[in-house]
Amino acid sequence: MRGIEISLNQTQKIRLQRALQQLESLYSKANFNASVTVADTIPVSNEDTILKGHGTSERDGEVVATLCGVVERVNKLVYVRTLRARYKPEIGDIIVGRVVEVAQKRWKLEINFSQDAVLMLSSMNLPDGIQRRRTAVDELNMRIIFEENDVVCGEVRSFQNDGGIQLQARSQKYGKLEKGQLLTIPPYLVKRQKHHFHHLEQFGVDLILGCNGFIWVGEHVEVRESLAEDQLNNTEQQFTKSNTTKEMPLETRQNICRIANAIRVMSILGFNVTLEVILETIDLSSTLNLGIDEMLGPEFHVLVAEREAERRTSMTKRKG
Amino acid sequence: MASVKRKSIESHQEDHPLLHPQKQLREDHSSNNSSSSKIIGNGEAVACLHDVSYPENYVRPPPPPVTQIEKNSKPAKEFPFTLDPFQSEAISCLDNGQSVMVSAHTSAGKTVVALYAIAMSLKNQQRVVYTSPIKALSNQKFREFKEEFSDVGLMTGDVTIDPNASCLVMTTEIWRSMQYKGSETTREVAWIIFDEVHYMRDRERGVVWEESILMAPKNARFVFLSATVPNAKEFADWVAKVHQQPCHIVYTDYRPTPLQHYIFPSGGEGLYMVVDEKAKFREDSFQKAVNALVPKAEGEKKRENGKWKKGLNVSKLGEESDIFKMVKMIIRRQYDPVILFSFSKRECEFLAMQMAKMDLNQDDEKANTETIFWSAMDMLSDDDKKLPQVSNMLPLLKRGIGVHHSGFASYPEGKTFSIGLNMPAKTVVFTNVRKFDGDKFRWLSSGEYIQMSGRAGRRGIDDRGVCILMVDEKIEPSTAKMMLKGSADSLNSAFHLSYNMLLNQMRCEDGDLENLLRNSFFQFQADRALPDLEKQAKVLEEERNSMVIEEEENLKNYYDLIQQYKSLKKDVRDIVFSPKHCLPYLQAGRLVCIQCTESDDKYPSFLIEDLVTWGVIVNFDRVKGVSDDDSSRPENANYTVDVLTRCVVTKDGVAKKKIKVVPLKEPGEPLIVSIPIDQINILSSARLYMSKDLLPLERDMNIQSSSYKKTVRRIEALEHLFEKHEIAKSPLIKEKLKVLHSKQELTARIKLVRKSMRSSTALAFKDELKARKRVLRRLGYITSDDVVELKGKVACEISSADELTLTELMKNSKMLQNQGKNLTFFFTQLQDTARRVAKLQFECKVQIDVENFVSSFRPDIMEAVYAWAKGSKFYEIMEITKVFEGSLIRAIRRLEEVLQQLIEAAKSIGEIELEAKFEEAVSKIKRDIVFAASLYL
Repeated sequence: MRGIEISLNQTQKIRLQRALQQLESLYSKANFNASVTVADTIPVSNEDTILKGHGTSERDGEVVATLCGVVERVNKLVYVRTLRARYKPEIGDIIVGRVVEVAQKRWKLEINFSQDAVLMLSSMNLPDGIQRRRTAVDELNMRIIFEENDVVCGEVRSFQNDGGIQLQARSQKYGKLEKGQLLTIPPYLVKRQKHHFHHLEQFGVDLILGCNGFIWVGEHVEVRESLAEDQLNNTEQQFTKSNTTKEMPLETRQNICRIANAIRVMSILGFNVTLEVILETIDLSSTLNLGIDEMLGPEFHVLVAEREAERRTSMTKRKG
Repeated sequence: MASVKRKSIESHQEDHPLLHPQKQLREDHSSNNSSSSKIIGNGEAVACLHDVSYPENYVRPPPPPVTQIEKNSKPAKEFPFTLDPFQSEAISCLDNGQSVMVSAHTSAGKTVVALYAIAMSLKNQQRVVYTSPIKALSNQKFREFKEEFSDVGLMTGDVTIDPNASCLVMTTEIWRSMQYKGSETTREVAWIIFDEVHYMRDRERGVVWEESILMAPKNARFVFLSATVPNAKEFADWVAKVHQQPCHIVYTDYRPTPLQHYIFPSGGEGLYMVVDEKAKFREDSFQKAVNALVPKAEGEKKRENGKWKKGLNVSKLGEESDIFKMVKMIIRRQYDPVILFSFSKRECEFLAMQMAKMDLNQDDEKANTETIFWSAMDMLSDDDKKLPQVSNMLPLLKRGIGVHHSGFASYPEGKTFSIGLNMPAKTVVFTNVRKFDGDKFRWLSSGEYIQMSGRAGRRGIDDRGVCILMVDEKIEPSTAKMMLKGSADSLNSAFHLSYNMLLNQMRCEDGDLENLLRNSFFQFQADRALPDLEKQAKVLEEERNSMVIEEEENLKNYYDLIQQYKSLKKDVRDIVFSPKHCLPYLQAGRLVCIQCTESDDKYPSFLIEDLVTWGVIVNFDRVKGVSDDDSSRPENANYTVDVLTRCVVTKDGVAKKKIKVVPLKEPGEPLIVSIPIDQINILSSARLYMSKDLLPLERDMNIQSSSYKKTVRRIEALEHLFEKHEIAKSPLIKEKLKVLHSKQELTARIKLVRKSMRSSTALAFKDELKARKRVLRRLGYITSDDVVELKGKVACEISSADELTLTELMKNSKMLQNQGKNLTFFFTQLQDTARRVAKLQFECKVQIDVENFVSSFRPDIMEAVYAWAKGSKFYEIMEITKVFEGSLIRAIRRLEEVLQQLIEAAKSIGEIELEAKFEEAVSKIKRDIVFAASLYL
């Protein structure tokens, strides 16, 4: 219940508490003792050499934690997994960020990490899809691709020497995100998965679960594998097209809001955000005939928590 | 007004055929989407074949507006010589901005196409990547291109020079990993040149080409340069399909300098031209060559008392070795410079030493060589100069002889020559026509032969190339013909899965393994073969159904019985005639019953009675294997028995006598022949001067084996059954059985065809993919949702060694504790880890031989490398091990590569100490001669 700030009446409070307790009881307490805070000693047997991973350091012959979190051991490797922290990038992560600066040959993006991420001009596909070296002209025209405050989606490509990260856009589906909502949720609620791009056909909506806790819900855009030839001539149109496209239908707008609210609810409750759970939450709201605004009301939160508890219980039963 | 307009149209129309002479033609075929082809060139000799593969549903883009054509009208690069038709043909494809595959002989001048592509990209400010299979070749091309265009960079496992250049030369492996990592080059590259793309059939590395081509950026265009491959079209079809773009094929058989092929029979006196420059096979002189060889070979055998010796030593017996004689002849006839190919490293050095007596260089050339040699030596430390391998070189080089093989320090591999390394000569000599192929000697394939002989003849200097085969064994005319005149090896996929590939694909969001498999050339070829297989199956089935046999059921029963009887008989014979049992009885004079030499289909194997005859043993002899391994016990060796029996001798052509053992009743002459033991049916208890009783000897041989007794009893039972079988009395039994037999064979063949059909309809590698994913899951590299975990990320970084074993080792090891003080201990641990990994793979149904896998980790050079890391001098470590210095150097270089990858891996798990340790290791081994820039840089 900690940290959940919704105004609940007495019954709702009790119901929510029960649901959360039920959820808690499902988790094994095995790792309970393994949680550490900064400067706690991590017990290791001395005969075995160990590999000290992230969040650990050696001090006076003892391994100590440099982070708050849970000690994890993979064979000989010991590291501390943080529970609630800023986003920690890994190579290959899909993330969503907001452009804060257009610099020389690069954009700087806010990605909820300790440093801004760098997206090089050369790591972006040119709007005309031509494969060529970037010229000074391209550099001058960088704002045609992204300008400040644009929301951009990319993949973590590599770490720089200073610990900052470089992004890249592998294909056409990466890049500027338009006509939608950006949600910011705690990054630990987004688990790394096979796919982070989702096209929800029934809603006509694209959903991108950025590993950094930035989530994009927006109108579906058909990814065009543009061929250089078709675009040779209409480069100019391409640049301006983005501003002049037609209005988004009301229904899609509503869908976007509904999905966004579903994610908000889950984030407030502290549930992992996965496509599956999002869809179930949306289903629940539509079966209850709730309006989009009503989804953020206390009653819906309680309902979602109860249903989640139920779902997890039945899952564990099935497994057991 | 009107006239002006007309004029502009006219000029437009004129422009077309002028600038793109073949454009018109391609336009004609625009209606059919599959392909169009034509032959270009006036004379036969220079003709080339041009063909285009279009992807399905390909919509031709509208012809570019006039302005564009005009812009392109000036070629990106002009050459000081007239282009051959195939070159200009390929270049015009490039001008149209379409991919092209050039398939031509090594010396034909494919590089021109690559040069043009580079020039074009540089002009358009696009990046261009040039990949080749070997570092040495990359280095050479780098220098070539650097001279031509300054904006050139090089990336190989060893060196990186100017990675930001517009034209990047690299090995294909590097290009693949750049694509996985999403290097920015992938976004700027417009043209990718794959040199020697026929390397794709390489069993181990071929898959890298497939991955690279599959992952290439969508808008990039390709230039494939390949040796002549018969299925270039198939390859182009695949590229067209995968990348949805047209791909041209330019194929030519043309050689700028025609080749003459000679045979030099060992011990013979002269050369025999077998293929002339018009590529005609000369039967008569080939026969002469073979005849010149035969008596010599036999004579040699006699003198050596039947002992077989390696060709090299034989030639040593003569006062002047063959090779020496031949080189002298070559010099006399002014066929030099010459390249000698031999297929073993030792032989290679040995030959060079033989050459040492010769002096091929003039005095001024000598001085020159010496200067170059010492300037090269200055790079090395004083201690390294003491190496015998280095100091021995100078006298040889001064005489104009160079040695290259894979075991040689700082020199490219021997097989480098089979690809486009630039080292032309007028004459090419093969000291042997057979090659050791991992486990056995085999004839050189025609494809290899074509590649290597292509070295002969320098363009513009020689009017023809000379290619000499030294033949020291009986070579069948057909084999020789196949080799000399056969077609090039076709380009087949050698696709296979690796864990590194799996993990890398799973790690990126776009990566779709199934898609990769579906798009692989392997799958493409399998799909393509399907209709053929279907047809084959149908034809076979029809044939089978057309055979009608009366009383089939009954007959089949009988047939099965016979088959069973036969196999039992064979079991018995195998037991009795294992050398262990029968050797003591092979005395001279013993009567034996032997099987007649079967002439294939005349006596099919369905008769109860074997065709047998009797003979008298004269002698028996042990067959020497290729590896003269004295340690093998006599029980395991093969034996031949010399038997006096009745034979028919037929002379077959000129060269070969055919001796056939025939039954006693048939006409023939008594002769002594050598037969393998398994041709003997029964040993008689009689020796010639003894009684004439021909009772089988087996009972007396005292064979104590339960399986033997059991089998004998079963044979007896079967014999009873035969008597009872009514159908056996049918007069036409033999014919009927024959028909049934062929019917059974057909059924078996149909089964086989069906099986290969099934395996190709299913997604190839699907099962293996599943199994390998299972392994990764069990080891905790990926989760059940295929998300790559920490360990998987470590394995992702390792591509130059076994990724699983190394990752496991890193995770579990006591490396840190042990500090490498005890190598043996470390090695056992390595083997344990390897065994564990292999066993797990086996359990997960990955096809793997556990022991083989474990023993593939070899400790041979561990000591030496360890000493090297400790700071020993190179000549010191050469004394520790017996391997060639070049192999050692390559091993250490590879180790450095692996260590670099491990540094990356350590970084990714956040273990700073380990990272530092690896870095220390790198700095320790990276010094002196091992990392001296090779002569090609």
